[in-house]
Amino acid sequence: MEIRLNNLTKIFQSKKQEETIAVNQLDVTIPSGKLIGLLGPSGCGKSTTLYMISGLLKPTEGSIFFGDDDVTTVPPEERGIGLVFQNYALYPHMTVRQNILFPLENLKVPKAEALQQAQDIANLVGIGELMDRKPAQLSGGQQQRVAIARALVKKPRVLLLDEPLSNLDARLRLQTREEIKRIQRETGITTLFVTHDQEEAMSISDEIVVMKDGLMQQKGSPQGVYDDPINEFTARFLGTPPINMFDGEIKGGKIHLNGASIGESDLEDRKVRIGIRPEGFKVLKTGSLRVEVEFVETIGRDTTLIIKNPVEEGKTFRAIVEADQKIQPGKGISLSVKPHKMFLFDAATGERI
Amino acid sequence: MLEDKHNIKAWFYLAPAMVLLIIFTFYPIFNAFFLAFLRDFNYLQGTWEGFTFFENFGFVFRNPNFRDALTNTLIITFVSVPIAVIIALLVSVWLNSIVKFRGVFQTIFFLPYVTNAIAIGMAFAFLFNRNFGLVNTMLGWIGFSPINWVGLRATWGMAMIAFLVFTTWSSLAFRIMVFLSGLQNIDKQYYDAARVDSTRRYRIFRRITVPLLSPMIFYITITSFIGSFKTYTEVIGMFGERLGPPGNDRAMITMVALVYDALDRSGVTGALSEAAAAAIVLFGITLFFTLVNMQVSKKRVHY
Amino acid sequence: MAMSTQVVYGDEKQNRRKVILRQTILYTLLALFAIFVIIPFYWMIMTAIKEEADVFVSPPILWVNPLNWQFSNFALALERAPFARFMYNTVIVSMISTVGTIITTVFAAFAFARLNFVGRDILFMALIATMMIPGEMFVITNFLTVVELGWIREQTFTTALLAMTIPFMTSIFYIFFLRQTFKQIPNELYYAAKVDGTKDLQYLWKIMVPIAMPTIITITILNAMGTWNAYIWPRLVTQREEFRLVSNGLRNAFDDALGVTAYNEQMAAALLVTLPLLFVFLTLKKYIIRGVSRSGIKG
Repeated sequence: MEIRLNNLTKIFQSKKQEETIAVNQLDVTIPSGKLIGLLGPSGCGKSTTLYMISGLLKPTEGSIFFGDDDVTTVPPEERGIGLVFQNYALYPHMTVRQNILFPLENLKVPKAEALQQAQDIANLVGIGELMDRKPAQLSGGQQQRVAIARALVKKPRVLLLDEPLSNLDARLRLQTREEIKRIQRETGITTLFVTHDQEEAMSISDEIVVMKDGLMQQKGSPQGVYDDPINEFTARFLGTPPINMFDGEIKGGKIHLNGASIGESDLEDRKVRIGIRPEGFKVLKTGSLRVEVEFVETIGRDTTLIIKNPVEEGKTFRAIVEADQKIQPGKGISLSVKPHKMFLFDAATGERI
Repeated sequence: MLEDKHNIKAWFYLAPAMVLLIIFTFYPIFNAFFLAFLRDFNYLQGTWEGFTFFENFGFVFRNPNFRDALTNTLIITFVSVPIAVIIALLVSVWLNSIVKFRGVFQTIFFLPYVTNAIAIGMAFAFLFNRNFGLVNTMLGWIGFSPINWVGLRATWGMAMIAFLVFTTWSSLAFRIMVFLSGLQNIDKQYYDAARVDSTRRYRIFRRITVPLLSPMIFYITITSFIGSFKTYTEVIGMFGERLGPPGNDRAMITMVALVYDALDRSGVTGALSEAAAAAIVLFGITLFFTLVNMQVSKKRVHY
Repeated sequence: MAMSTQVVYGDEKQNRRKVILRQTILYTLLALFAIFVIIPFYWMIMTAIKEEADVFVSPPILWVNPLNWQFSNFALALERAPFARFMYNTVIVSMISTVGTIITTVFAAFAFARLNFVGRDILFMALIATMMIPGEMFVITNFLTVVELGWIREQTFTTALLAMTIPFMTSIFYIFFLRQTFKQIPNELYYAAKVDGTKDLQYLWKIMVPIAMPTIITITILNAMGTWNAYIWPRLVTQREEFRLVSNGLRNAFDDALGVTAYNEQMAAALLVTLPLLFVFLTLKKYIIRGVSRSGIKG
């Protein structure tokens, strides 16, 4: 089921009549049968968007389509959605089975059939043996699966997950995100999840939608957005360690960083912000950028160099290079820059040039 | 240092409360059992004739009012408690689901909590007045002829109905307050989740609200039972110290009244022992129903 | 496309109608219940301001023109019995017992919340268990005790006050309630004070009591309300009419042996007793609700 958001806007009004625009004229089409990550820092309006799609929040303006159905004014119970809450909202007084059966009972599914469906979905998410436990007797990861099973059991048109991994510890998080990916593949349900963790979104999404201050910044495949950020915000938001940003300029077809020419550009002369991914550097004797290494961290295959920022006094930047290069801290080295790992942004607007 | 036991210091802090509790709470409990087993105790002379196991309880059970007192107490408890708990539950759920005027309704509903049982009992007696009361007037609007609720030689049945209305009215406020605060502590997400799953309202109430509120319902039921077994001041409020409609004195007598009746005759030989025995019987009944209650609730209460 | 939009539109309309219907029913039910709650108060007030002749009219007069309100009923009611004296007694008794209760409970709650001593948990459980025992078990012996203490025979105002207040100068429930509040104050505060060389007593009064003030206010109100409503014990231990409290005076002053009661004066007196409580409730509602709902949650 394709989800289409047209000009979707949500304005919250405080008691003092102050207005906050949580979501601002959002136009997105979410393709059918895909796993989509809605990504952005806290307060960017991503959860508000999710709750508007669920119907629990009413949009101030705009419309929401599921396929060809305009569901903008349809109450949540008639939208055919499954929603997994951030802290799962499992009914504490019911067993896992009762929790999963609950939506089916609402739909008056015959008992035997409902039991079978509940068991099937429980098996699918891998909690088939825990049916008689109460939520309090389960680990966070298991509770998460129960919540997903409960959302999936009624075969929703759309599955929505609000920060699905945020309540799990690091190890479980890795495991669970694979699990979500697998469940989504096996069911083929259009799934939208909200997260502030770019790594999480990048690792499992078919597509990501990056939001900031209620506005959509960019939409595309994770790698596509990473490799081709539309502005400084998305460039900075994606990637660990984050992209390095420098003030520089274009002069005579060359990109200058602190006097060194690090690349070519056919733009006219101007001041620019230069973004270079940490993996975008190469240590080369012939490199034009002379810098001083402050620390060296070698972890397995990669070496991270923490290098004194030549432009800003007292700041550093990071470069990731192959570990077989022996580099001593405190020494000067020469770097060259891979052109496809470098992005230029307008110094004033932050837009990609 | 901090884990050290501070025995002496602790007892210094506890002393004022403990002295009072020992004299006016712990000692009286033991003494009640002691008194209840004394034969022919006369407290004015401080004498008694040895011990007896059943005699004082015999006085209580053979008291001509005992059966009335027990019947009344049980009726008051088993009629008014369930009705009041259910009404309070419904009203608090309604109240919790509105936004506008919630504060106003809340204030109104809580008013009975702060009323004086005597004052409001007298007001109810006049509300149920046969000729000049509002209740018969309102019943008249829908075609009833005036009923003698609490007037001269009013029947036990009518007096009981009027009294039940009064006790239910006055006990609702506390229950609504407790339920409402319980409802406000239920995470709103459960309701969002239920809504997304297309749960009908009645089912939400039965399958989510009631179970999640069950500790509170349990607490209210237990305290209501205990409180109800102790009904006495309300009877005085509505009927005065004759404990019944004029000409039908003591028709509304309760278990607690037996204790005070005996206590009023404190100078008479054996009266205090009878009072103690009556109090123990009351305690026994309360304890019995509390335990039954706990047993019944064990399976149904979710913590 | 156009079709589906229309269907949805219809749905919305139907939904809105359902919502409005539900809200109407809800508010109607609540309004009916509010009327049920208010009627006794309304009837009390209306009766209290009627002329005596108007009280004995059938069917009764439901509304009295404000120009004809008989405030003299209040004066007459006050003449029936020494109500001013009863109120004075009630205020004194409630002040003494409240101050006493606060002091004893603050100390005891501190010991249970902060100090470590042998048998603390057992003692605490024992106290909680006694809360279940009906007060009638204590009354008999307590009556004998106050007689023994010489507070009943040849009673003076002082001994009457002692008899009415001392047995109620502490309360297990309030100790429990206050202990819960004290326990919520972080340990670090206590340790910090210890490091700074603060004595326990100083810490209790300078830090814990101010932090727990809302709870203490709640206890004060509940305790004062309890005294205002007390009927049985004061009746039992006061030997002279002028030592009694409002509830006693109220019930006895209008119990006409002939069965003809001056209802308007009776209701005027009842209203006088009720008004201070309502006033306290409306001004300090927050604290009362807090106390009550807490007791429910912890129960």
